[in-house]
Amino acid sequence: MDFTLPKEYELLRRMIRDFARQEIAPLAKRVDVQEEVPREVIRKAAELGMMGVPFPQEYGGMGAGELGYCILMEEIGKVCTSTATVIGAHTGIGAMAIYLDGTPEQKKKYLTPLARGEKIAAFALTEANAGSDAAAIRTRAVRDGDDFILTGSKMFITNGPIADIVSVMAVTDPSLGPRGGITAFIVEMDWKGCSVGKVEDKMGIRGSGTSELIFNEVRVPKENILGQFGAGFVTFMKTLDVGRVSLGAACLGGAQAALERSIQWAKARTQFGKAIVHNQSIQWMIANMATEIEALRSLVYRTAWMVDTGQPFTRYAAMCKLYGSEVASRCISQAVQIYGALGYSRDVEVERMFRDARIAEIFEGTNEIQRIVIASDIMRQEGVRISP
Amino acid sequence: MDFSLNEDQRMYVKMFEDFCANEVAPFAQETDHEEKPPLKQLKAASEQGFLGAIFPEKYDGAELDMISYALLMEHLGKACVSTALTINVHVALVGSAILRHGTDAQKEEFLPAMAAGEMIGAFALSESGAGSDAAALRTTAQRDGDRYILRGSKAWVTNAGIGQLLLVFARTSEEAGGKGISAFLVDVDTPGVKVGYREKTMGLRGLVTNTVYFDGAEVPAERLLGQEGQGFAIALEALDLSRVGLSAICLGAAEAALENGTRFAVEHEQFGGPIAYKQAIQNMIADSRAEIEAMRHLVHFAAWLADEGDSRLRTQAAITKLICSEYAMRIANRMLQVHGGYGYMKEYAIERIYRDLRAMEIAEGTSQILRFLIARDQFAPHGISLRP
Amino acid sequence: MRIVVAIKQILDPEGITVNRRRERIFINREERIINPADKCALEAALRLKDAHGAEVIALSLGKPAADDALREALAMGADSAVLISDKALAGMDAPTAAMVLARAIERLAPFDLVLAGQTAADTGGDQTAGRLAELLGLPQVLQALELSLDGGRLQVVRLWDGKPVRAAVSLPALVAVSPLAPPARYPHGARIMNAYRQMQVSVWTAQDLGLTPEELTPNIESRGQVFPPERELGTVVEGPPAQMAGEILSLLRMRRLI
Repeated sequence: MDFTLPKEYELLRRMIRDFARQEIAPLAKRVDVQEEVPREVIRKAAELGMMGVPFPQEYGGMGAGELGYCILMEEIGKVCTSTATVIGAHTGIGAMAIYLDGTPEQKKKYLTPLARGEKIAAFALTEANAGSDAAAIRTRAVRDGDDFILTGSKMFITNGPIADIVSVMAVTDPSLGPRGGITAFIVEMDWKGCSVGKVEDKMGIRGSGTSELIFNEVRVPKENILGQFGAGFVTFMKTLDVGRVSLGAACLGGAQAALERSIQWAKARTQFGKAIVHNQSIQWMIANMATEIEALRSLVYRTAWMVDTGQPFTRYAAMCKLYGSEVASRCISQAVQIYGALGYSRDVEVERMFRDARIAEIFEGTNEIQRIVIASDIMRQEGVRISP
Repeated sequence: MDFSLNEDQRMYVKMFEDFCANEVAPFAQETDHEEKPPLKQLKAASEQGFLGAIFPEKYDGAELDMISYALLMEHLGKACVSTALTINVHVALVGSAILRHGTDAQKEEFLPAMAAGEMIGAFALSESGAGSDAAALRTTAQRDGDRYILRGSKAWVTNAGIGQLLLVFARTSEEAGGKGISAFLVDVDTPGVKVGYREKTMGLRGLVTNTVYFDGAEVPAERLLGQEGQGFAIALEALDLSRVGLSAICLGAAEAALENGTRFAVEHEQFGGPIAYKQAIQNMIADSRAEIEAMRHLVHFAAWLADEGDSRLRTQAAITKLICSEYAMRIANRMLQVHGGYGYMKEYAIERIYRDLRAMEIAEGTSQILRFLIARDQFAPHGISLRP
Repeated sequence: MRIVVAIKQILDPEGITVNRRRERIFINREERIINPADKCALEAALRLKDAHGAEVIALSLGKPAADDALREALAMGADSAVLISDKALAGMDAPTAAMVLARAIERLAPFDLVLAGQTAADTGGDQTAGRLAELLGLPQVLQALELSLDGGRLQVVRLWDGKPVRAAVSLPALVAVSPLAPPARYPHGARIMNAYRQMQVSVWTAQDLGLTPEELTPNIESRGQVFPPERELGTVVEGPPAQMAGEILSLLRMRRLI
């Protein structure tokens, strides 16, 4: 067993860390207040390959695998959750679906500009009553000659307002249900009939746009079927699996940043004639945070290794997302507590971090869904099939 | 032992319900989103006598007992935490201090004006270097003939920006700890008093909290509240009552969270039916309901101790506030989780309640300080005297 | 155009604290980086490459770990990299190090330009560039901020007395780049991967460079470390030159130094 990070990844981490500190961190407050990640930041990140970390170089990617991608998400998660979310929805699910199930032609046409960051991707599964529940999808794609006519609306789509290319799940055969009746399509948002609907006003990750996407009789050529016809359920389950690992990595970054700020403040803040770090209550919080963070770090990077080495990882990816989001929320809540009243003020970073962190327990499958995924996977080995 | 409300109290409950439904709840969202001081709610409250809730009738008060007052705070907290806290600071922190320690002249001067809402009370205890550690106060009040000269600054002064009357705690002698501190009733328009920066906070966005500067402000000697050196005791006593009120607000907000969560679980369908049928959701609802009932009994017990003038109130108020703030936060957290993605959106009340409640574990004594107070009380009979 | 850039790997000074009272140096975080001025030199070379096309060769003398510094140079855009590393080279003094580097640069001939950092952030010696120019018989420009090619000549903006001034030099030449020169670019992620997975770092030994044991015998013997006594603030003399000279003379006389 060797836990050493390969040298190229050490250098990659250093590069991303420097970039995050110098180019992203100074903007994090502005991103929250102005509700936008500047396109300039995305452009700079793209120039260094950060919009396509896990994809092969032949498609314009960095070729750094899930490991490199987790490093990216951890380092950016430390400084700005909104920026991490924009990159995560783009790379981790939007473009990832095309990478996992696209044909070589689709990858050349769509994945390449996405990996280079020239175009922005989104992943459109959720609807008003269908998120985790694929059977309830209402968006329809009806065959019309060689094309499909796509009609319906998707909600809570991260990157919705800025996306150029969207992986969309639609019902192609209502009689078959989720298995066989749903197909994934690659849709270009500048096609006729595509529009951005209501943009949500959120508690946190305010720099990352979340919106409705409306498809009004959009003509999609059959070349844009992603994966097997009727196997859209498989495509999105696979995609979400991978996305959960890097989401755990972003949570790891957020938790680590909360710990670092807690330590700094506990050393600096004096009450009752001594720095508050000399209170065991504070020491315990810091010890608990550090312990949970190390456990999360091991889980995330081991799962990344499983992804990169082609092992089954569904259960572990769900654990990364479940545990990661809870550790991040706990650590950041404790950081707020250590900061006291100041932690409640929008003038300090931990306040923004607290609001930002809360979404991770919800999106890309609520933590309740993650528990279902984990329990189902465990029980399947025991010969028990679980229905949600 | 009798757990029932008396006839008056039952009548009040109806009145509070009507008042909150008509005058407070409809404005809760705009109060938060626009960061608006709840002035029209305060005006409506004054017409009902709520701004002098616990003042005797001869000072135009409603002369409520503490259990009725807790019921009022519960209902206000359920409707709008910002409004409830504004009133609690006015009545239970500032008003109660005048009521208990004021001279007849002071009571006549301030209480009727406060009850009428002509004067809103603000509580100026914390300083940037002294939050939990009140003995570290540095604001001074120097006696000069028939007046005192105030110098220093106060942080997190609730109601300062909308209030007319500041209850200021300042050092009148160098005596160690809290013994050298005195309380003053300071008109906000006094030359040398400047209301500064309004805090921008995560939640409680209707609450107006400012930094206040005293630059040689001259306060007539008859504005000293109680005796010189009595200030710290006055503050602690006021905090006992306001912690009961704050706990009741937590109770109300938790009830609102549970109601919202319950309604959402009934209305939102996943996997072919309302999510209320999922055990994971049921558990979250059940735990929250059980905790709310525990909170209610703690609040009513503490309020009863206050009515009885029982000395156990000091520790019991700390216990009640510790439990109620922590329970309320976790109930809001669970109910937000029940809402899934919707809970993260500002158009749902749970989003606001969650941000509002995060303050409760910090305001008016952090959970850490409360645990210290409780532990000190527990060890005291064993000959161990704890210092923070 | 062929450019050789000499870079040194150092311990990140930000991870080091100097405790004067206990006369000890503590390493809190052991992270090795490219010496900042050398990184600026590399950036200057890459900018010439971007503007005019050039082959950039990164050269380092150091322990095997300096391989990482050279891979970073490759990731930034250097075309090839050479590491001079040999147990026989351990514990060299500054003159010997410059001699070894000069020997390696000669072996890389023909070259048009040699770049080095003005100063090393660890030892602060400020010697290598000057020594290299002397050993290689090259004209030198120190404290460079910006380089550009104008016909056959290199135009250099350099610091002179704290202010930027223009200088020009014919090639081949040696230029020492200031740590205040434009900061280095971030390496592209894909190049980072390739720098380790596809590109090579040549390793040269003392024998490869034909270095004899006599040549490698240090001229300077290290007898340990002492902390210099803390200096009092000096006196600043201002005014017209004649007046300043008079003041300095009287100060020196007062202290009986002349």
